[in-house]
Amino acid sequence: MSEVKKKKKKIKVSTILIYIILSLWGITTIFPFVWVINNSFKPSREVVNSSFSLPIEFTMQNYVKAFDNLNILEAYKNSFIISGSVTIAVMILASMIAFAMTRYKFRGREFIHSLIIASLMFPVFSTIIPVFKMMSQANLISNPLSVIIPQIAGNLSFASVIMMGYLRGLPIEMEEAAYMEGANIRQVFTRIIVPLCKPSLATVGIFCFLWSYNDLFTQLIMIRRRTKFPICALLNEISSKYGIDYGLMASSITIIIIPVLIVYICLQKNIIKGLTAGAVKG
Amino acid sequence: MLYKKKLPLFIFLVPGLLLMVLFLYKPFIENIINSFYDMTSVVKMPGQEWKFIGLENYKRLFQDTKVRTAILNSFKMMILSVVFQVGIAFLLAVLVSRINKGQHIFRTVYFFPIVISASAIGLLFKLFYNYNGGMLNQIMIALGKEPINWLSTSKAFSMISIPIIWSYVGFYFVIILTGLNAISDELYEAASIDGCSNFKQVFYITIPMVRGVMCSCITLAVTGALKVFDLPWVIVPKGAPQGVTHFLGTYMYEQTFTISNIDYGSTIAFVIVIFGVIVSKIVSVLIKPDKNL
Amino acid sequence: MRKVKRLVYLVLTVVFMMSLLAACKKGDVKETSETKQETKDNGEKEENKQETKTENDKHNPVTLTTVSMHGGTDPNAANYQEINKKFMNDYSYITIEDDSQTSDQDWKTKIAADFAVGNEPDVIQFFTDANASDVLAADKFVTIEEIKAEYPDYAKDTLPAALEAAVNPDGVQRAVPTTGFWEGLFCNKDLFDKYNLELPTDWDKMLKAIETFKENDIIPIAVSLNNVPHYWVEFLMLAAAGPEGFTTVPESAPEDWVKGLEMFKTLRDLGAFPVDTDTIDNDFAGELFKNKQAAMQLDGSWYAGGIPDQDNTVVVSFPVIPGGKAEPGFMVGGLSSGFYITKKAWNDPDKRDAAVKFVMAHTCSESVQKYWNGNGTAAAKVEPLADMTPLGISGLNYSSAATSISTPTDARIKQEAYNTLTAGIVDVSTGARTPADLIEEVLQVNAR
Repeated sequence: MSEVKKKKKKIKVSTILIYIILSLWGITTIFPFVWVINNSFKPSREVVNSSFSLPIEFTMQNYVKAFDNLNILEAYKNSFIISGSVTIAVMILASMIAFAMTRYKFRGREFIHSLIIASLMFPVFSTIIPVFKMMSQANLISNPLSVIIPQIAGNLSFASVIMMGYLRGLPIEMEEAAYMEGANIRQVFTRIIVPLCKPSLATVGIFCFLWSYNDLFTQLIMIRRRTKFPICALLNEISSKYGIDYGLMASSITIIIIPVLIVYICLQKNIIKGLTAGAVKG
Repeated sequence: MLYKKKLPLFIFLVPGLLLMVLFLYKPFIENIINSFYDMTSVVKMPGQEWKFIGLENYKRLFQDTKVRTAILNSFKMMILSVVFQVGIAFLLAVLVSRINKGQHIFRTVYFFPIVISASAIGLLFKLFYNYNGGMLNQIMIALGKEPINWLSTSKAFSMISIPIIWSYVGFYFVIILTGLNAISDELYEAASIDGCSNFKQVFYITIPMVRGVMCSCITLAVTGALKVFDLPWVIVPKGAPQGVTHFLGTYMYEQTFTISNIDYGSTIAFVIVIFGVIVSKIVSVLIKPDKNL
Repeated sequence: MRKVKRLVYLVLTVVFMMSLLAACKKGDVKETSETKQETKDNGEKEENKQETKTENDKHNPVTLTTVSMHGGTDPNAANYQEINKKFMNDYSYITIEDDSQTSDQDWKTKIAADFAVGNEPDVIQFFTDANASDVLAADKFVTIEEIKAEYPDYAKDTLPAALEAAVNPDGVQRAVPTTGFWEGLFCNKDLFDKYNLELPTDWDKMLKAIETFKENDIIPIAVSLNNVPHYWVEFLMLAAAGPEGFTTVPESAPEDWVKGLEMFKTLRDLGAFPVDTDTIDNDFAGELFKNKQAAMQLDGSWYAGGIPDQDNTVVVSFPVIPGGKAEPGFMVGGLSSGFYITKKAWNDPDKRDAAVKFVMAHTCSESVQKYWNGNGTAAAKVEPLADMTPLGISGLNYSSAATSISTPTDARIKQEAYNTLTAGIVDVSTGARTPADLIEEVLQVNAR
């Protein structure tokens, strides 16, 4: 009895230490977020001179300016069409690739594996020029598809690598048992693999959404009509329109990150759900 | 047995691979072809011909001291990424998985740097490092010291590495944590009943169990380091100061989009991929991700 | 139960795909309906003016795609939009879809790509000099001669000399200019007064000022060598070589150009530039000058409007560097942009008339007056302004007193060569690279 107590005490000390370390890192990550929101309520000059204090002169002007000039809701819609479809398509395609790559043994597997790894290396600038040419020949410039398709292709290799890593760790026994009971491949995939992969699918989904959402570069090159601008492109324009108006930039950033945070928090619940389902134990 | 039939394999692989071939490999090969021509504009103007210049760009590559700096910096960044990004992320993930309350909060909070786009983080660090009125120098002056040029040639690389490493720790943290949570609690319980200390548990249970995930992380960190672009480009554009902070990504962008030497930019892009393939090959030989299959 | 679930998934996927397609399609439809809406609105507004309405009813609705450089931070962005608005009111059947942006390097690259793939706008305000060579190579502009054959009034307000100045490198006139620009040395006069300094009208005074400001913790010259050293490149080379040597593109590095660029190292060693000149961007350098943390800045006529202290800021001519061949009072300036009509618009019977009307609306005396507003030079006859600020007057005096006007180097050499030149300035200023070596490379790139 006394032994158990001692052990509990020891754990408590180490737990406190753990919390301290974790909180310290947490402060560094939360700080910029607070900084941005804090500064979004200041006039620009104040941001430059005293960006780390609370607003002396509290102003909503930055938000008014941002909302006044632009159709932000329309831009949100454009962004969600693009990033939503990229995310879903990547999740479906990547789990298929990862399943095939980890469960099947076939000639050329090594080759395809290195193809996938190699494409991780492709910086988007190295493919954007020919892709732009292809898109304009297909008359898709300014169409959301011109951003969606290259982004799917670009994120697919990353997503496959993550899913492959996760799938490798999953024991194969369950699938074999299901097969014994007469399930075919499609059923194994949709009923066993996909539910088991939920946590890593959520991970992949979050990152694809984020990268697609924040990928200003592709958006700026492909979308040329102002009415079709996704939110990042639109707010990039507004911040360049007013020169170095840091206050306006801060409010733009706030407007950009809020939906992403919502998506993250939604998907995060999914991760936990996937966990409580007791994935591995079956 | 289950995976003997090959037909479903094609159905699973083809759609994804087709997209990759069409929108990654084909443009990339086109890009390589471009590197042998003297491109005058992004897309060939009707009636315009590009001069074939053969290996000239590659010859230039070997003489270009900036390319050397860029390669060196990218290598440094790779090592730093693996050690610090993945290392810190692993540590934090293990710690978070050990606690009961507040997991949710840390998980959300650590993710913030990734949610905020690189241009915003870049702006933030720019305001930290600014010589005139930046936060660090405001502190220096408050302490009665001389202001420091934080982005001088000798400090710039370390100063730019900090935000790069910091902003992506949360990324690997989430991935590793997902893997960690797949380990059943029973394993740990069994281990602690057998008298295995927490520290030992990490070594004998955690690390072997998340091996696959860690390998993916290392591969991603290495290739990610080669692609580093947006943060340095915002904080120290064009390899400023004096080209010491050039990475392969930023140097390529500068050549392609600010100098409009598009063909030379294509050459560098090709080099980035070659390097990436070689390095990730070495990595996969060293850590053997497929071993337990 | 499972079957139901699977069905739900399937349905969801299908719905998603459909909505995706629909969204893409809807985007298009919506846009057109939006523009229709707009035209309708305009039509309603015009209802009172019966005459205009009947006049406008004769025409088919036209949507004109336009691009100009009056976007972003450009001081004329508001004027441009205002003229567009008035234009759409006057001609209710014309809808303008405008995508104006600041003319930076990325933008030029994009425009060139648009022209290459046939995505060009109907009317564009663009460069007329070597900056436009990529776009001109596509041969998609209509010449003024051809337009005048059908519309004799086209460009009637524009001064013949201005039209001549806006000629393309191949000697053909295609663009109708509005205003020209000058570049000059902006000085915070109050800082000079505070330390009993004379304005830097010659090199000794310049050196004296640099020394004194340096001692008093004021940055002598606000410039970002990494971001925009362009103005300094132009003025130092021009001061050293004189207008003639400056404007001829040589085959090998001329001594004078080298001497001009060598001055970067001299100035840097004197501590004339900000400590962080290698890392700050141009906007921030501008802030240093506007906040009176820096005493001098070399910039263009467009910069004047954004300076908050219009009373104590003056523009002076750049001093001749020791041994320089230029006459005092030399200036960099010119007229290097104008409105073009593309063949795409010209060959479309509905758009042809609208495009011509659009360009005329922007280049008539009244509009040029707005664009000019005391800054730079005007391409049409303008009324002198009554309420100019002291800085405005100073700029006007500076530009009208110029003994010579030379166009910047990028008007003469290939873009890639010019970009190579500006990208190498940091290395030249630290001595990591000799000016001769840099200029040699630039000329090589240009000759390729």
